[in-house]
Amino acid sequence: MSRSRRLLGVVGRHSVLIGLAVIFALPFFFMLLQSVTPIAEAKTSVLWPSSFDLGNYAEVFDRVPLARYIRNTLLVCALVVTGTIVSCVPVAYAFSHLRWRGRGVVFVLVLSTMMLPFQVLFVSQYEIFSNLGWLNTILPLVVPSFFADAFSIFLLRQFFLTLPAETLDAARADGASEFQVLTRIVVPMAKPGIMAVAIFQFLFAWSDFFGPNIYLSDEENLTLAVGLVRLNTAAARLGESNLTMAASVIFVMPLIVVFFFAQKVFIEGVTLTGTKG
Amino acid sequence: MVQAAPPAPVPSSAPGADRVRTDRTEPPERLREKRRADRRRRLTVLAFLSPWIIGFLVFTLYPIVNSLYWSFTVKRYGTPARWVGLANYELLFTNDDLLTSLGNTAYLAIFGMPVRIGIALLAASLLVRPRRGNGVYRVMFYVPSIVPAVASGALFFFLLKEGGPLSGLFNLFGAEAPLWFQDPRWAKPALIMVGTWALGDLMLILLAGLVDIPTSLYEAAELDGAGRWARFRHVTLPMISPVIFFVVLTGLIGVLQSFDQAYVFSQGAREGRLTGEPGGSLLTYAMLQLRLFQDGRIGFASAMAWVMFLITFVITMIMLATRRRWVHTANEEWA
Repeated sequence: MSRSRRLLGVVGRHSVLIGLAVIFALPFFFMLLQSVTPIAEAKTSVLWPSSFDLGNYAEVFDRVPLARYIRNTLLVCALVVTGTIVSCVPVAYAFSHLRWRGRGVVFVLVLSTMMLPFQVLFVSQYEIFSNLGWLNTILPLVVPSFFADAFSIFLLRQFFLTLPAETLDAARADGASEFQVLTRIVVPMAKPGIMAVAIFQFLFAWSDFFGPNIYLSDEENLTLAVGLVRLNTAAARLGESNLTMAASVIFVMPLIVVFFFAQKVFIEGVTLTGTKG
Repeated sequence: MVQAAPPAPVPSSAPGADRVRTDRTEPPERLREKRRADRRRRLTVLAFLSPWIIGFLVFTLYPIVNSLYWSFTVKRYGTPARWVGLANYELLFTNDDLLTSLGNTAYLAIFGMPVRIGIALLAASLLVRPRRGNGVYRVMFYVPSIVPAVASGALFFFLLKEGGPLSGLFNLFGAEAPLWFQDPRWAKPALIMVGTWALGDLMLILLAGLVDIPTSLYEAAELDGAGRWARFRHVTLPMISPVIFFVVLTGLIGVLQSFDQAYVFSQGAREGRLTGEPGGSLLTYAMLQLRLFQDGRIGFASAMAWVMFLITFVITMIMLATRRRWVHTANEEWA
């Protein structure tokens, strides 16, 4: 009785898991399938196309300046990642391995800025960037990241705090300046943490829609996220979901590749902070 | 304070002991050197902090002050603001669109979050004990959550569209799929569906909480004859409640600010001004705020942003104040 009940439990557990897994995987399956469905059939409601047409991928590059979108997105990502690391590493160091009066209070101030909704800030930031003549450029998207965001400071500080203070003190005793301690000892030791922050920032910059949507307007300046939404809107009218799905595959694939290479970082980062960045 | 070496002890009988002690005991050149070192340390700290200080002043503090001021004014870009007192806030609570957007946002929170958390908890609790194949399932449940919101929006717009794959599946069973993007009653459930697909983060957080529950509790419950449901109800739920508290709180804040997928759906349904098609059913709070900004009604948009902050703040305070009621703590004294 107990054995058959246990067997029933195992079967039940697996059928629920397999059912869920199928439901979670199906959208990806249909995305890939539709991205190779010939245009004539994409407009009808056939579930399985009569032939596969990889030409959709070429077509979507012709239809919208997708190569430009990719270039712009990569540029934004590279600058955001660089800016975040360059600015947050020294700040996080000052909050973890330098002692100064008011450090605790200022750190609480840093954390409390995370509570502010973006909506409170962008209305006024927009005017700043508009006065600087930066509208329709990527500058509003990348320049702020050179001025240390609270989330990355917090994350880096957590990593820096795990480094042994004795090692740093030994270097100081040997006459190393704080800058040297940071660049020669802390940075090499905290590489995994810095990588994690870089990956989160990449993910965020690659996916972000809100910022690019309000700051970029000309077709050739858009990022992939905004380009995809515009393509989706246009394609909805024309029934060309095969093109939207081809563009989506191009948009999503790099993230999945990054995920598979950095799975551990993702899973630890999410459970550490409760958010993805 | 920048670290200073402890002052050298001074005999209390020494002349001038009531003055700053180091004045007497250290030769002037050493003292000067020490001051210089102190100043250098202070400058080092400032230099290291400077990215954050500048960023905080320019991109946080100044915008906060500005938008707070603007929320009491009629303001358009390029023109000076005109003070109107509380008029924007008064208008907010009589504005039909605003009430619609609050209603929609509340709907998404009330119906969306339990579905999301429920399924994430189900998945997490099936994966908590180490078994072969868990890694594969975990990856499969997690991957949808790294898909950018606009991409999952476009994907589900295709999946759910009239004649799309889902309606094909409905037809296989001889059923008629709802018109998700034409029928105001079905648009929000469609939105909840995408959000549920992307529950990977939530699942990982819950999983981390479940792993921490000592197995001895389950063993004890089993000895007492507790069945599967009883163990879940009396062991898992109380032990996981602090984590659920956290995900409900961050989830509520997230819903209030979310609009990406609603944007993709409603622009696909009808291109143009952000009205949250079909029939305003997808007009979320954040979307309406963006629309006011795009319409150039900056004062009103600022007021909406501050009401959003206020709602976030009040929700957080209420939840923290009532925490004891729904979070189980092993020892109430320490709650």
